[in-house]
Amino acid sequence: MTAPDAGLHLSISNVSKRFGATTVLEDIHLGMAKGELVTLLGPSGCGKTTLLRVVAGLTHPDTGRVELAGRDITRAPPYKRNVGVVFQSYALFPHLDVAGNVGFGLKLRGLPKADIASAVHRALSLVHLERYADRPIRALSGGQQQRVALARAIAVEPSVILFDEALSALDRKLREAMQSELRHLLTQIGATAIFVTHDQEEALTMSDRVAVMYKGRIDQLADPRTLYDQPATAFALSFVGQSLSLKGKVVSSDADGSVVETSAGPLRVPRRFLRGSSVIVATRPEHVTLTAGDNTLTGTVVGATFQGSRSLVEIDAAGTRLTAEMPGRCTLPERGETVIFSWPLSETLSFSGEEHA
Amino acid sequence: MTEAMPAPPKLSDPERRTAFLLSLPAAMILLIMFILPLGLLLGVSFTGPEGFSLAAYQRLLTTPHYLSVIWNSLKLALVTTALTFLIGYPASFAIARARGGWRSLMLGCLFLPLAASVIVKAFAWTILLRSDGIINSTLMLLGIIDEPVRMIFTQTALIVGSANVFLPFMILPIFAVVAQLDPRLGEAAAMLGANPAVAFLKVTLPVTMPGIIAGVALVFSLSVSAYVVPTLLIGERYPTLAATIAKAYLLTQQPAFGAAAGVVLLSIAIAVVILSSRFGRSSGGLS
Ligand SMILES: Nc1ncnc2c1ncn2[C@@H]1O[C@H](COP(=O)(O)OP(=O)(O)O)[C@@H](O)[C@H]1O
Ligand SMILES: [Mg+2]
Repeated sequence: MTAPDAGLHLSISNVSKRFGATTVLEDIHLGMAKGELVTLLGPSGCGKTTLLRVVAGLTHPDTGRVELAGRDITRAPPYKRNVGVVFQSYALFPHLDVAGNVGFGLKLRGLPKADIASAVHRALSLVHLERYADRPIRALSGGQQQRVALARAIAVEPSVILFDEALSALDRKLREAMQSELRHLLTQIGATAIFVTHDQEEALTMSDRVAVMYKGRIDQLADPRTLYDQPATAFALSFVGQSLSLKGKVVSSDADGSVVETSAGPLRVPRRFLRGSSVIVATRPEHVTLTAGDNTLTGTVVGATFQGSRSLVEIDAAGTRLTAEMPGRCTLPERGETVIFSWPLSETLSFSGEEHA
Repeated sequence: MTEAMPAPPKLSDPERRTAFLLSLPAAMILLIMFILPLGLLLGVSFTGPEGFSLAAYQRLLTTPHYLSVIWNSLKLALVTTALTFLIGYPASFAIARARGGWRSLMLGCLFLPLAASVIVKAFAWTILLRSDGIINSTLMLLGIIDEPVRMIFTQTALIVGSANVFLPFMILPIFAVVAQLDPRLGEAAAMLGANPAVAFLKVTLPVTMPGIIAGVALVFSLSVSAYVVPTLLIGERYPTLAATIAKAYLLTQQPAFGAAAGVVLLSIAIAVVILSSRFGRSSGGLS
C-alpha cells in the first residue's frame, strides 16, 4: 500500500464510472483533510449521487482508487468501510423505534447493552431528540426523522459521513435552520463530511470547500469565496450566485488582455485570448454602477425593484437582459430610461466560449 | 398503529341515520350469506337423534381414522404453505425488482390462471401426470425411463398441484409489501455494518413480515380446506376433512357429522388467522 498524501483523510483519485453508454463520472480527483466539510454542487444528473455511492461502496467505479484513513477501500464492501450515509429518503427502519434505529450499528458491533444505551442517548441529545427514544418512526415529523437519520449515522462514529440531499425534503425555513445547526454539530464532533446538493446557498453555508460538478466532472474545487470571486468555468459562474454575461468575439489582444466585441458593444477583459475566438464576458451584479467606467455599456431600463438593503435594476442592452445590484438607498432610474452603466476591469471575468454552459 | 389513525369524523344524528340506512344492504348480505349459514352449521353439528348431542364431535375427535384425516388436512396445508412461501418470497422480490414489461409479464403469468377454475387446473395436472400423460410419454420417448412412473395419485402430485394452485395467494400479499420496500433500507443497514445476511434478517425480513403473515394465513386457510385438488390428484388414498364433509352430506347422509367436520375445519382456519395476526403484532411489522 502506498502512503497516502500527508494529511489526506479521504482521497478519491482518477475515479470514472459508466452506465452502459453514458459516462456518469469522468476522472474524478478529490482529497479531503480530516474534519473537512466538502459539498458536491451541481445540477440534477451530473453524477453527485453516483460519486457518493462510490465512496460508500454501493457502486463500484470502473477505474480509480478510494482511500480512507490510510486504507485502500476501493474494493471493500460497504459494511466494512465505516462510512456513514444520511439518505435523501432517510431510509429509517420502520419496524424499529428511534432508539432501535440509532443503536442498530452499535448492536451489530456487539457492544454491551449499557454502552449502547449511553451512546444512543449521546447521539440523540446531539440532535435534541433524547426524549423521543421510544417513539415509533412513523410518529415523527419529517424534520425529526431527518435528525434520527443523522443520529443513526453519527452514533457509530464513522470515518466520513455522506449526506445525499439530506435536507432537501424539509421546508425552506426548517432547512435553513438545519443547515447552520448541522454544520455546528459536525464541527463540534470533528466529523469529516461530504454533502451533495443542487442548492448553491446550502453549499456555501455548509462547507469549507465546494466541488462544482458538471456532466460527470469536477469543474472547480475551491472555498466558497474563491468560487464566487474566481469561477473557473462559465458553468461555475452561472451555477453559483447571480451574474451577468455577454457573448462575443475577440477583436484584438495584447499583453494586458483582450477586447471582445459583443452585441452590446466592445468590452475589455484582463486575459489574453486568440483573435477571433469566442469568449463569454461576465461580472457580478454588485460590481455594476450607473456611471461610466472601464467597461461601459448603454441600455434601456426594463425594471427596477427596491428590496430593502439593495435594489435591482434590470437593463436591456441590445437584446441581452442584465441585472445590476445597487445600494438600497440610491435613486433608481425610471422604466424606459436610457442609462449608461459600467463595471471595473478588475471585476471582469472571462471564459472561453468553447466550454459551453 | 391505532394512534396514527385519524379519528373518524363526528356525525350528527341525521347523518348517523343515513349512514345506518346506507349500511343496511351490506349488513343484510353479511347476515344472510355468512352469519346465518354459520349459525345453522353450528346448530346442525350439535344435533343428534334426540336433540342436543356431542356424538358427531366425539366420533370425529376420537376415531383414529378421522384423527388421521384431520392430520392429513393439516399436513397438506403445512407443506403447501411452506412450499409456496419458499417459492413465493424470492419470486415476490424478483417481480418487484423487474422493470416494466418483465414485471407485467410475470404478474400476468401468475394471475391469469386465477381466472381459470381450480377444477380446470387440477385436471391439467392429471393430464400432465397420468401414466400415459405428457411427462411420462416424454421421459419414455427420451429413453430416460422404460415404464411409466406412477405420478398421479401420489402425495408428490398432491403437493405439486396444491402449491401451483395456491402460489398466487402467497405472492400477492408479499409482493404488495415488497413493491413498497425502500431499497435504501438494505443499503442503510450495510452502511451501519450489516453484511447481506444480517441486513436480510434484521431489516428486510421483519419489514416484509406483514406480507408474509397475510400470505401464510391466506394459503393455509385455503389449502387446509381444499377439496378439488386432493380429490382429483390423489383421491381416496389421502382422505381430507373437506372430502369427509362432502361424503357425509352427499353419500352417507350424516349432516351432523359433516357439520361437525366443517366446524373443526373452520376452527383450524380461524385459529391460524388469529395466531398469525398476533404474531404480526408482536413482531412489530408495519400495518
Ligand atoms: N444504476 C444506474 N444505471 C444507469 N444509469 C444510472 C444509474 N445511476 C445513475 N445513473 C445515471 O447517471 C447519471 C447521474 O446520476 P446521479 O449520480 O444520480 O446524479 P445526481 O445525483 O447528480 O442527480 C444520471 O444520468 C442517471 O440517469
Ligand atoms: Mg442525486
